[in-house]
Amino acid sequence: MATDALRAQVASKWQESFTRLNQNEPGLVGLLNFSQAWNIARECVRPRSLEEPDALTQYEKPTFQASFELLNKCRRLPILLETFLEDMRKRFPVIKAEMDQYTLDYQRTSDTIHILNLVLRLLQWYQKWIPRPELGATLQSAFVLSFQTHIFSSLSPTFVRGFKELCASTLPPVDSDTILPEPNPKMWEAFEILGLLDRYENIIASVAYEHIETYVLTTCAGHWSESMLVHLRKWMADKIVPWMMLMYGRTVTTTNDAQSMLQNVGSRFDFHMAKTLCDLRTQEIFDIIIDFPDSTGALQDLRDCLHRVDQRAALVHALRKANQKRLLHPGADTRLILTQYVATIKCLRIIDPPGVLLFKVADPIRRYLRERPDTIRCIVSNLVGDEDSGDSLVDESEPIQPLQQSELEEYTDPNWEPEPVDAGPDFRANKPSDVISTLISIYDSKDLFVKELQVLLAQRLLAITDDNSEKVEKERRNIEILKIRFGEAALQVCEVMLKDMTDSKRINGHIQSHKESVIHPTIISKHFWPILEAGEISMPGQFQTFQDEYAKEFSAFKPDKKLRWLPHMGTVHLELQLEDRAIEADVPPLEAAFIELFSEQDVWTMDQLITKTGLSVDRKAALKALLTWVDLGAIKEVSEHTFKLLEVAEASTAGRELRAATTSVVELPSALSIQQQQAEQMKLYWKFIEGMLTNLGSLPIDRIQSMLRLAQGYDQTVEQLGAFMEAARSEGLVITRDGMWRLNPK
Amino acid sequence: MASISSRRLAKELMEIKNDGCPVGINLVKADDFSTWWFTIQVMGESLYKNEQFTLQFRFDPQYPISSPAVQFVVTDGKEAPVHPHVYSNGHICASILGNEWSPVLSVIAVCVTLQSMLASCKEKQRPIDNDRYIKHAPENPKKTRFHYDDDT
Amino acid sequence: MKVIIKRWHAVAQWRWDTGVSSDDGDEEGDVCGICRVPFEGCCPSCKVPGDDCPLIWGECTHVFHMHCLLRWIGTAASNQQCPMDRRPWVTAERKVKNLVPGAGAAAPSAS
Repeated sequence: MATDALRAQVASKWQESFTRLNQNEPGLVGLLNFSQAWNIARECVRPRSLEEPDALTQYEKPTFQASFELLNKCRRLPILLETFLEDMRKRFPVIKAEMDQYTLDYQRTSDTIHILNLVLRLLQWYQKWIPRPELGATLQSAFVLSFQTHIFSSLSPTFVRGFKELCASTLPPVDSDTILPEPNPKMWEAFEILGLLDRYENIIASVAYEHIETYVLTTCAGHWSESMLVHLRKWMADKIVPWMMLMYGRTVTTTNDAQSMLQNVGSRFDFHMAKTLCDLRTQEIFDIIIDFPDSTGALQDLRDCLHRVDQRAALVHALRKANQKRLLHPGADTRLILTQYVATIKCLRIIDPPGVLLFKVADPIRRYLRERPDTIRCIVSNLVGDEDSGDSLVDESEPIQPLQQSELEEYTDPNWEPEPVDAGPDFRANKPSDVISTLISIYDSKDLFVKELQVLLAQRLLAITDDNSEKVEKERRNIEILKIRFGEAALQVCEVMLKDMTDSKRINGHIQSHKESVIHPTIISKHFWPILEAGEISMPGQFQTFQDEYAKEFSAFKPDKKLRWLPHMGTVHLELQLEDRAIEADVPPLEAAFIELFSEQDVWTMDQLITKTGLSVDRKAALKALLTWVDLGAIKEVSEHTFKLLEVAEASTAGRELRAATTSVVELPSALSIQQQQAEQMKLYWKFIEGMLTNLGSLPIDRIQSMLRLAQGYDQTVEQLGAFMEAARSEGLVITRDGMWRLNPK
Repeated sequence: MASISSRRLAKELMEIKNDGCPVGINLVKADDFSTWWFTIQVMGESLYKNEQFTLQFRFDPQYPISSPAVQFVVTDGKEAPVHPHVYSNGHICASILGNEWSPVLSVIAVCVTLQSMLASCKEKQRPIDNDRYIKHAPENPKKTRFHYDDDT
Repeated sequence: MKVIIKRWHAVAQWRWDTGVSSDDGDEEGDVCGICRVPFEGCCPSCKVPGDDCPLIWGECTHVFHMHCLLRWIGTAASNQQCPMDRRPWVTAERKVKNLVPGAGAAAPSAS
């Protein structure tokens, strides 16, 4: 029902279009021109196959420019664009098929070359299809957008994986110093053109992160002696920055741009590097501390990293955990714990001078040490430079200073600094005190140390059997040094002990000059020496005589004083003159008393001997004393606990006697023979250990220790066990490797 | 540096802590070596039955060469026992605190002596010169030259 | 068999011969009545025992650290009496002749 009006309207529309297309040309000429221009323009932007020649070879530049102008005039360019995009969509499956093929090839071979080829192939298509710049930005940008959309919607997860791998392969290998793989600028260009850089920025960054991580871990793990941070930063500058430039720097033209780009991206990478190193060192911290001071480099790195990355809490946590697991258990020797604690103090002072970390880490160690019975002894024997106490906890270089008591905050201190933010409420900003003060502050009072010091000094002084004033002088120097730490008054008692030593020597000199005696006593001041182990022996025969004579001479020299012997202490050097031989030995008094009795009578039972020497002698000690003489071939056990003097050596003991002729069986303050006793006990347990290792293969020492604990009567420390295992090793019974013990398979 | 008195007092205090005080005497406070307080009661039948007094000892660094300053506490509602040798300000006229002091005496020995001084009292009354004395009495009873007139 | 002692390193304690307690056990021993420190210890003003801090014997048989007694005797309050029995102090000659010549009349050492 077209009305006239409608008809007229259509007619006018048509006329209008016609006029536009015809361009006011006479007749249909304009229309024909348009039609030709349309065809040319379409041909120009038609998505071609790669084999087809470019449109440029088909038409002269002026020709298609004219065509486009004409279309533009007729406002037909949008239609052309739509048609172009539609053509692209129709042709894209060809590309998609190729992409799938490449992806498949990659999946099959895992060779990233297929991914690279895919990308380069896409670039070819892209370049083939992209409208010429002369055709205007609109057309080009519409193409880029559409092309990328098609690509992205066609890329599979497999491609993403391959792409990541491809990126990674462009990084310098971590395990050697080989030069960068030949940079392939074309590839990065392709990434950029195809929009892969933007789309996969995170993936590329993660490639770099992972690469940095791997590099840090391979180069730095276990390398603690020197600072790695400098090396790592150099590596970043040499190897990673050029790579970053390939990726991020392509668009950069001025050096200023490059700088800010590097600052931005580079600082992210640097942060990641620092964090990785920090995590690594945190993981390694316990062993780093063990290695100190050879691990100073690692500690400095950790300090620098912690400034950049806030991982302090993690460090504290890791170290506390490691300490709990590896240090604060019954199998660890107290000396070891102390050594590690001291090392921890020194190490954490490097990492964190204010001491917050140390405070948090030290607390459990200190609490643990406080519970250990031998902690004080360990510290003290270290203080006095006991040979057995292993490495000194104190640096020779560290100045000796008075103990520092934790003091209240000094409000007038001009150097006061606020406490670090992560300091807990009970944190004491302790002035960096010396190691000894720190150790001693484990306990509330230093009195315990002074007491222990006395005991130790007493043992050492009483072990001096000859007129060795050099040894006394050494102890004196020691005490002088300790006075600086503990104060004069606290060590007054030690002073008296030392004076007793010199007085004894002087008095003895006088008495000997007056009336020579075999006794050379150390005369001590009762209340100034630690309570010495009790023990009464009444010395028989000539011993008694010598004692009395000497005491008489003493009282003559010091009329207002008398001597009270401590007969169980000291050493006797004596010679037994037997029918066919002489035996010379250094023995404790009880041994001497017993053998003296044998000079009166050839056969004694143990009980008789005990009765003769004052009844208070312990049976175990008596037996031990007798065994000493049995070992030396002087007596033998004829029936249980009955012993007979051997005036003439017996065949079986003849060889022995030679060896034993000048044996010293004296106990250096009862340490040596205890070791021997322990060795005896250990032999009983060898069967257990042997069975254990047969069944379980190899075991660490603390496992062996904990299993032996289940055995009845076993009371050896892990160090004693260690010494035993060491002995077993030298006998070829066991072998050890990396702290694991196993039976020698021979 | 520890003074002579502190070493001796430390020993006395140790003994008190280990062995306890004699019956009727209790250590109240001995936080330092300058002033100690004891409570003292007279056991058995006496004029002071059910009464409790507080003794204060003050030591100078020369103790035990010099005697301690001993008096009954008369502050905080406490009162001195009514006794012919005890002034109402707490000062005590007892020879062992004055010219008969001997360094072999001890704090506990003083307490025991004062306890028996009270126990043997026959009549509760203040010293005759009480009013005159307390008017001019020095703060420290050691500054007073007492005249020891009888058998305390 | 003959046992020949070549050398004997022995250990002994010295004691004051106070003449009172004979060779007893290992008890605390007698203390000075003034400072309550054992005789074999030293008086409060000394650091080293023995000859440096000797005893003083009275004719009354009472014994003290010499320094303790002199401190006491040096005070007006002492009236020169023995702290134990309040008899005039007379130093016994027997024991101290080697140690303190004329200790009986010694000047007060207390401040």
